Amino acid sequence: MKKIKFITCLIIAVFMASVFIQSCASSKEAIANKSGAQLWGENCIRCHNTPSPADFNDAQWKTVGLHMQVRANLTKDEAEKIVVFLQSAN
Amino acid sequence: MIAFGASFAQDTIQTQLDVITSEIQSLKKEDKTHFMLRGFAQFGLDATHDNINFNMTSFNPVLLWRQGDRFLFESELEMEFINNELDIHLGFANASYVVSKGLIVRVGKFLIPFGTFGEKFHPSWVNKFSTTPLGVGHDGIAPSADIGIEIRGGLQLGKSKLNYSIYGVNGPGIKDGTDEPEEAGMLSFENSTDNNNNKAVGSRIGFLPFANSSLEIGASGYYAMPGSEESPFEGDTLNEDLNYKEVSALLTAFDLSYVKIISPLKSIIDIKGQYSLSTVSKATYFNPEDTMRYSFTNNSSAYYAQLAFRPALADNAFLKNIELVGRYSAYTTPEGSLWESKQSQIAVGLNYWFTWRTVLKASYQITTIEKEGAPGEHSGHGGTTGNVFSLYFAVGL
Repeated sequence: MKKIKFITCLIIAVFMASVFIQSCASSKEAIANKSGAQLWGENCIRCHNTPSPADFNDAQWKTVGLHMQVRANLTKDEAEKIVVFLQSAN
Repeated sequence: MIAFGASFAQDTIQTQLDVITSEIQSLKKEDKTHFMLRGFAQFGLDATHDNINFNMTSFNPVLLWRQGDRFLFESELEMEFINNELDIHLGFANASYVVSKGLIVRVGKFLIPFGTFGEKFHPSWVNKFSTTPLGVGHDGIAPSADIGIEIRGGLQLGKSKLNYSIYGVNGPGIKDGTDEPEEAGMLSFENSTDNNNNKAVGSRIGFLPFANSSLEIGASGYYAMPGSEESPFEGDTLNEDLNYKEVSALLTAFDLSYVKIISPLKSIIDIKGQYSLSTVSKATYFNPEDTMRYSFTNNSSAYYAQLAFRPALADNAFLKNIELVGRYSAYTTPEGSLWESKQSQIAVGLNYWFTWRTVLKASYQITTIEKEGAPGEHSGHGGTTGNVFSLYFAVGL
């Protein structure tokens, strides 16, 4: 039983280490320059389907954006860019 | 005459400009304060070997009230139809204030960020099944909501992201067996007031290592002293030495979410999982049925793993709305307690998405109960199984 636990912990540790190394690797992708559309596509889908911009008006998207910033722990930049995109596409 | 006409036209234009300016100012004012009524609902039917039953499982209106760019009030009413009666609960009601980039303060009753299912995936239009995994939700081993204060936020770390939540809440009580002897030692999270001076504290940290946010790994911890200061057997000479004020509870959870577009398959793959463990320190309980005292190692655990596959990028309009889902969950409560149980569940489902927030969910669920505690029993009995076919319609409002 102890052996199984040790192997499980080892697998998790190796996985976490590889993930960490991957995260530290240099990337050509400039995070700061991501568009609102790209952030909308990447972040909303983590919990639910990507929403249709046409479903809400500008004021509603602003409220939904703040709600999601709190609930989903989006960064402030992400939330603002996503809201601007949705407001421009509705 | 001409001069008079020109002057009149100028006045008219000026009046119209004033009206438009006023309307713009009015719209700007409206934008500073904004109400929204959202929420979700789910209804459908369950078919077992013995009966077919229509269910109105939930209707949860959510009020959002934003003031400016930094203040948000949100509240949720949970309405269910149970035993021919309408059951209404306040799911959450809290105020959040964005203090700075990556720092939000929240006070009130809020969903506890213990793992991810309870806080993020429980709404019926987000949950890919009509049921929750075993051990998760209102009757699970961890709290779903409580009253207190929390700080939370999301931060960019290079190409990775980190999110955090740290909170202090009233915390759970512990069932001492005076009201429900068969549940002695069980944590009770449904408390609106605290039963002692201690506060429960907890935290969750989520790490998103990839630039595309596809993977999130989270770890949660929660510590509480659930016992009352006084013995619940005060005045009972036989048992008044039994006291639970030194009992402590440590809950931990690990969660994982991986959502990725697989371009060659024109599909989205969605993997979710959570493991939760509850460790309550050992205590002695009294069973009034046999007037004996007993003790047990008070550990419970629950986990689930879920896989969803949807060819969302397919060219076929029907196929792109189809989603295949599978889930395995298990829940074990303390051996030797009167509520000892061991259950596992397999669920497979086929969903059809009408819109991004409207879904028809068909699923078949097999629950195996290996051990099930019952009043007056110290050891479990088992061997029963339950199979259910469900067809539910869920909508995010």
